[in-house]
Amino acid sequence: MADPTVAPAQPPLIEGRGLTRIYPMGDSEVAALRGIDFRIELGENVAIIGPSGSGKSTLLHILGLLDRPTTGQYLFAGVDTDTLDDDRLALLRNRAIGFIFQSFNLVSGESALENVAAPLVYAGVKRKERVERAQEALARVGLTDRAHHDPSQLSGGQRQRVAIARALVTRPAVILADEPTGNLDSRSSADVFTLLQELQSEGLTLVTITHDQRIADRAARVLRVEDGMLVDPAAPGVTYLDGGGRPHDPTTAPVTPPSGAVVAHPESGLAALGFDSGDVS
Amino acid sequence: MTYLEALRLALRRLRTNLLRTALTTLGVIIGVASLVALIGVGEGTQAAITSQIAGLGTNLLSVNAGAATVGGLRGAAGSASTLTIADAGAIGQLDGVEAVAPEMSVSNVVVVNGRSNTTTSMTGTTPAEAKVRNYQVQTGTFLTDLDVEKGLRVAVLGPTTVTSLNTTPTAIIGQTVTISGIPFTVIGVTQPKGGSGFTNPDDAVFAPITAVQSRFTGASSLRTIGVSLTDPDQLAYVESEITALLRYRHQLATSASDDFSMVSQDQLLSVASTTTATIRNFLIGIAAIALVVGGIGIANTMLVSVRERVREIGTRKAIGARRRDISRQFLVEAVIVTLGGAVVGVLIGVAITGPVGATVGVPATPTLFGITLAFCSALLVGVLAGWWPARQASRLDPVEALRHE
Repeated sequence: MADPTVAPAQPPLIEGRGLTRIYPMGDSEVAALRGIDFRIELGENVAIIGPSGSGKSTLLHILGLLDRPTTGQYLFAGVDTDTLDDDRLALLRNRAIGFIFQSFNLVSGESALENVAAPLVYAGVKRKERVERAQEALARVGLTDRAHHDPSQLSGGQRQRVAIARALVTRPAVILADEPTGNLDSRSSADVFTLLQELQSEGLTLVTITHDQRIADRAARVLRVEDGMLVDPAAPGVTYLDGGGRPHDPTTAPVTPPSGAVVAHPESGLAALGFDSGDVS
Repeated sequence: MTYLEALRLALRRLRTNLLRTALTTLGVIIGVASLVALIGVGEGTQAAITSQIAGLGTNLLSVNAGAATVGGLRGAAGSASTLTIADAGAIGQLDGVEAVAPEMSVSNVVVVNGRSNTTTSMTGTTPAEAKVRNYQVQTGTFLTDLDVEKGLRVAVLGPTTVTSLNTTPTAIIGQTVTISGIPFTVIGVTQPKGGSGFTNPDDAVFAPITAVQSRFTGASSLRTIGVSLTDPDQLAYVESEITALLRYRHQLATSASDDFSMVSQDQLLSVASTTTATIRNFLIGIAAIALVVGGIGIANTMLVSVRERVREIGTRKAIGARRRDISRQFLVEAVIVTLGGAVVGVLIGVAITGPVGATVGVPATPTLFGITLAFCSALLVGVLAGWWPARQASRLDPVEALRHE
């Protein structure tokens, strides 16, 4: 642990060192991840691509603290997550991470507003403030008028926007999106895609698993997973464009986070959790 | 997540699944309602029997023919014919004895009044019976010394007997009824004491002991002698006096055991309350089984519910729910269902206690004890029924849960 009297350099938001994930399958073992090293800085826009079964979902689960690597080290905001118990991981997921799923995963029987406010319940936020913040988040995704609808009364695109609002409501440091447009028609995909890009440009860190070429194209950086390992994404014939549509080499060092990224989220997980004071580990 | 939040969540969930909630709750409703009703009936039975025994006479000591065996059980009453009218007269001379009523019983007599008849038992006795057994007449008079002296064929009927003859106490006074074919004139009807079953004091015929002896039994042996005491505290003393007297009169050797037995009202009361407590506990046991079955229904529904909501559980974990948040959600849901059932069950139980008691002939009212017990057991059942499903839910692996179809 660093000497707390010396302000350390800002650690990367996410850092994986030699991550492996091995599942027992009967007598044998299956390695979903076979040694992955990477860093994601605050405010980055990263796409994770790769064929089915390549291990990218496993990687996202580990990034999202839903799963632990079999070996290797996963640091979140500089903290070795291996030292955190399940409740601490839940707390981090709650405060610092927003999830967006391919199939939305809204709870039916609860209104859009209640779905959006759900993470705040686990954060211990009072009801009145929960409603206000959930309404703000719904306004941000343009669904103020759908607040009291059941998810079953909403279109796919609207559902995914509710899910995005739910991911935003805790003002997380990073949004992890697993095929966010995979279940949507092209028009809704475009809406969701645009929304995610806007949020990222406002300072959110965005990590997206995708097959959607446009998302991969717009990502500042692309991590390509194949057979449980990261491979050079700059395969011949593929040109990646940066946020301004200019050709961009995704293998270069990560782009600098937009200035004000942290300022835009003064209550984002890290500060609120006091992770810089070193009291967690 | 606080319990209040878990409560809100549970209520929303239960509202969206109203039919299932109602069906699940039904088991608990039935269990709780039967607990409340059966405890009410049990306590009603106990109170009725106790007051019935108290109504049989105060300071009463019954001397029965036949020996008491070890353990307090005695042979069939009258299985030995050792008590005589003379014995009764001698007991009446003892210190501390207020009144003595010799009782000569004839069972299964048929009383006929016009076209109506009823089967009951007849007691041949003396006017002291009213004092000893605590009878009052509502119309007419009880037996008189003259009736006994002359062996008149007169009878005093119990109110239930009168009702069985399809007539009224006032109408039957002065009428002649036949008792097993022998005509008797009705001179009085006793006040109802309340009671039912095999020893209903209101279903009775009293006639002069002399008349019964000459017309029915032909012998002078008594089944019982009712003795009332001047002072209940002298019970033990009077018992020993009577024992000594009867042993002397019956010329029993020192080694021989008594050929009679005595039961005091206190003993009867304690035996009866033990019996009725057993009945009550038996009823509670039956109702408890119903409640347990209801609890199993809830546990089953909760397990199904957990299985149906695996993705929801995964999602909740992803957005920050800890294990205890998830388990609390399901536990509170089970307890809410159970308590909701308990409330409805108590209301139904309170409503049906009276009618259920009426069908078995007992004045039953719902008791606070029954309601409290039913509520607490329901709460316990809810916690137990919810515990395992809640634990299952909270221990789901989030990755597996999110993948679940």
